[in-house]
Amino acid sequence: MSESIQQSDLVLSPTSFKPLVKEDSEQGISRPSLSYWQDAWRRLKENTRAIVSLYIILGLLAFTVLGPQIWGASGATSDVDQISKAPFANRAATIVEPFEPWDQSKVTASNNGLQLDGDPTTQAVRLVWEPMAASTNGYRIYRNIYPTGPERALGLPLGEVFPSQGTYFEDRLDLSPTYYYYTVVALGDKSRETQEFQSHEFDVTRVITADEAVEKNLIESSSDVAVGDEVMLAWHPLGTDYLGRDMLARLMEGAQVSLFIGIVAPLIYVLIGILYGSTAGFIGGPLDQGMMRFADFVVALPFLLFMIVFKIAFGVESGESGVLPMLIAMVVLLWPATARLVRGQILQIREEGYIDASRLLGAKSSYLIGRHMIPNTMGVILVTLTFAVPSAIFTEAFLSFIGMGVAPPTPSWGSMCNEGLKTMNSTPHELIFPAVLISVTVLAFNMLGDGLRDALDARMRSRE
Amino acid sequence: MTTPNSSNKSTTTASHTGADTGTAKELNRAALVQLLLLILGSLAVIIVVMYALNWAAQATGSKSAATDAINYEARSISILIEQEPPQLDAMKSTDQVSGSVLGHIMEGLIAYDVNNELVPGVAERWDIRADGATFWLRADARWSDGKPVTAQDFVFAWKTALEPATASQYAFILFPVKNAEAINTGKLTGDTLGASATSDRVLEVEFEKPIAFFEKLVAFSTYYPAREDFYKSTNGRYGADADTMLYNGAFTVESWVHNSSMRMEKNQQYWNKDSIFLNTIHVPFITADKQAGVNLFKDGRIALAQLDGETLPTALQERWNIGRLADGSVYYLEFNHREGRIGGNLNFRRALQLTLDSSELVYRVIKIPGYVPGTTLFPTWLKGKDAPFRQEYPPTPIRPDREKARELLATAMAELGLEETPSLVVLAGDTPLARKHAEYMQSELKKHLDLDVKIDRQIFKQRLAKMRAGQFDMVMAGWGPDFDDPLTFGDLFASWNLQNRGRYNNPELDAQIRIAQGSIDQQVRMDAFGEIQRILIDQAVLLPDYERGRVFVADPRMQNLGRRAIGPDPDYSRVTLLPPTAEEAGR
Repeated sequence: MSESIQQSDLVLSPTSFKPLVKEDSEQGISRPSLSYWQDAWRRLKENTRAIVSLYIILGLLAFTVLGPQIWGASGATSDVDQISKAPFANRAATIVEPFEPWDQSKVTASNNGLQLDGDPTTQAVRLVWEPMAASTNGYRIYRNIYPTGPERALGLPLGEVFPSQGTYFEDRLDLSPTYYYYTVVALGDKSRETQEFQSHEFDVTRVITADEAVEKNLIESSSDVAVGDEVMLAWHPLGTDYLGRDMLARLMEGAQVSLFIGIVAPLIYVLIGILYGSTAGFIGGPLDQGMMRFADFVVALPFLLFMIVFKIAFGVESGESGVLPMLIAMVVLLWPATARLVRGQILQIREEGYIDASRLLGAKSSYLIGRHMIPNTMGVILVTLTFAVPSAIFTEAFLSFIGMGVAPPTPSWGSMCNEGLKTMNSTPHELIFPAVLISVTVLAFNMLGDGLRDALDARMRSRE
Repeated sequence: MTTPNSSNKSTTTASHTGADTGTAKELNRAALVQLLLLILGSLAVIIVVMYALNWAAQATGSKSAATDAINYEARSISILIEQEPPQLDAMKSTDQVSGSVLGHIMEGLIAYDVNNELVPGVAERWDIRADGATFWLRADARWSDGKPVTAQDFVFAWKTALEPATASQYAFILFPVKNAEAINTGKLTGDTLGASATSDRVLEVEFEKPIAFFEKLVAFSTYYPAREDFYKSTNGRYGADADTMLYNGAFTVESWVHNSSMRMEKNQQYWNKDSIFLNTIHVPFITADKQAGVNLFKDGRIALAQLDGETLPTALQERWNIGRLADGSVYYLEFNHREGRIGGNLNFRRALQLTLDSSELVYRVIKIPGYVPGTTLFPTWLKGKDAPFRQEYPPTPIRPDREKARELLATAMAELGLEETPSLVVLAGDTPLARKHAEYMQSELKKHLDLDVKIDRQIFKQRLAKMRAGQFDMVMAGWGPDFDDPLTFGDLFASWNLQNRGRYNNPELDAQIRIAQGSIDQQVRMDAFGEIQRILIDQAVLLPDYERGRVFVADPRMQNLGRRAIGPDPDYSRVTLLPPTAEEAGR
């Protein structure tokens, strides 16, 4: 350059002093740059467990939000014909005449032991038997689902028939389509059982009346079917509960409560924790001390007790949903953990060189917090959030399990477990499905949180 | 080197940089072996721990294992009671568990035998007239300290129970005795009570007004005796411990560890001790958990276990002999008839009457044999004049008719000036069965009438408090009989009865109740009860749900077990044991 000045005549005109046209730098970047988040996403994608968990969570959200629209059944409608039915139970039923009370005057007495009047159906089994000599005080009727055998295990005592009531008995108690072993024992002096008895076994068929079928939307109108036709009862892919309510619909409705609490509560309390913690950490000094001692105080409050007090303070009557007080109790009591974490981070970041530089350049506190501090704590916050979600879901399940949560008929996974537990031996599906859903959800959120932590941790980067 | 799967952090590859693939395979194999060893090791540890715990449990449990369900040689049985007896002071006692224990350790003037017939107790004979009664006490009736049971002991007990300061909830059962009600409300002093001891062995009772069933009342626990000198020496702790009670029944409480166990021994002073077979009744377990009871029964630790819907399948599988009894209680849906509550509207009540189907409730939802679908307030076991009451006065049959019910509901809403179907609060108990029942009702009313029902679940005490305060639209209530007469149910909906929680007021009904209370002619009384039943059904004052029953398994070697709707239940005092068969003895 200096050479050219020497060689040529230097002619300066006013145009020479015009500013140059502003041009972008010619420096090119040969590889795409990776921002912090892009990098984190890249590493999360490599973590199979985390990605599977992410899909499970997305699936759960779809199950909760879209599921009820697609499935369409209501979880509040009971169906007494299908109480506590396991998945894939036989659903065929025969159409019969409407139920009529038994006109015993038209029944011919039995002359051949224990007999039936009419067909044995799930509507009623009508027994007629031969009078027994030993009966001075009537009869007692038993029913068993196992053969009575030599030890005379007669099974369920259904009832007694007084001498004035003849030799008839109508059984309508919880009849299912299976083999029943009926026994009628003569009652002697002082209504004690005698050795004289008659027994017989009957195969009961499942039936439904045409009107009931119409009411349950199984057929269009009662003229579509004739007595003796077979119809299929409503399909419940995951079975039914103790009132014959569809388990799948209830699980979907329960998921709404569980995921609502599980996601909304942590979002709110983590936000409160961030604000509280960053304020304390940034300002520091006596205010920080005071604020953190208050946080310690909140940690010391017993959660369950607070939950009960909240329910009363809110005037939540039994029979109304306790979800709102539960949400508030969680928000009020669970923020300190996040606040402590964020405060620790902020204290660390506050001493970094780039903060000092920024401050020297005249940055205000709000800019420092918004531009430098919050983004740098974001990783920690996200991880806290993903771990808070499963713990909140679990807390909701626990509270509903002990009856402090939702009000019937609204289900929640926890309350469904509570109901299922009572019938664990006879109908395990009522417990297993909600329990599995709770476990899978909690596990998925935990594994996603695990993956996020690995992906967002800057120190992990240097190890690769 | 890195393994192809970089996300797999569990393989510690970082320290083996530079090794070839062969050694990597070996390493993987080594890791696998290590893993297998770990699994095997932990399994072994678990097994060892399980055996150790089992051994420890057996070692510490050896004491209670000594109390078998039935011990023929020692003439003892072990039983379970559902809760710690809340009140063993007979004058104040109200609940069934205390009633059962009291039935073993105390005896009234008249008692129930195993066939539930009234038999002489402390009184060897009696005479009941229209204006009063005389009881002649037996000479050999003694307290457990050897002193005779006298007529004064009865007078003292009755006076004490009636004193306002005693605050006995069952004082009203003494009201047929002259001036009893006035004494209980504090208008008269205890000395004016119409009961006096003309001698140690003769008790004279004057009636307030003629009463048709006094001998049934006298068998009730509030009529049991108490001895003044002993009662005063306990300083208000009468009945609180084994040593602050005096017994005149077949057994005495020898030890009572609160909330844990109890032991009853045969009372050597009891006048009829020769008829008592058992020497000892152990109560090693106090729990209301039916599953626990069934497990104990299965293990041969208790002689009787109550069953519920959950434990019935076990009983069937185990091939036990299952027994059944009506426990006497009737459960029903009661409306709040107070001003401003929807239950005051007849068409609304009728709509519900035609919607709810008690037979579906019992047969399909509750599913426990022994429960009887409710059709009226008067249960099946009540005796009428000559035959069962229900046979003499069959209740009007009600069949569900949902079409009609919807019309009636529409009428009711028009009458009440309501635009939308109202939201109702039903007060319910907190037992699993009450919950199931309430949810079933909630679903039925929603399905058929589009009514929104909120379930207010409360513990027993709280439910009673809310019932008293009238904080409900409907309540799932129950009533257990106090004495063996239809009146124990018949006066429930009298306008003056405090148990009429919904404040139902019908002069026509009140008139019939007065007849039933005042007359001593059984035919007139039963006709009145028949009329009461008709009014209650016609006006849909209450909707009967079910008559409660119980199913239980009892050890077959135990004979003469007393089970009853009224009076102490279960009653083991007359139990005899069958000797073990040769096969069992050899085992």
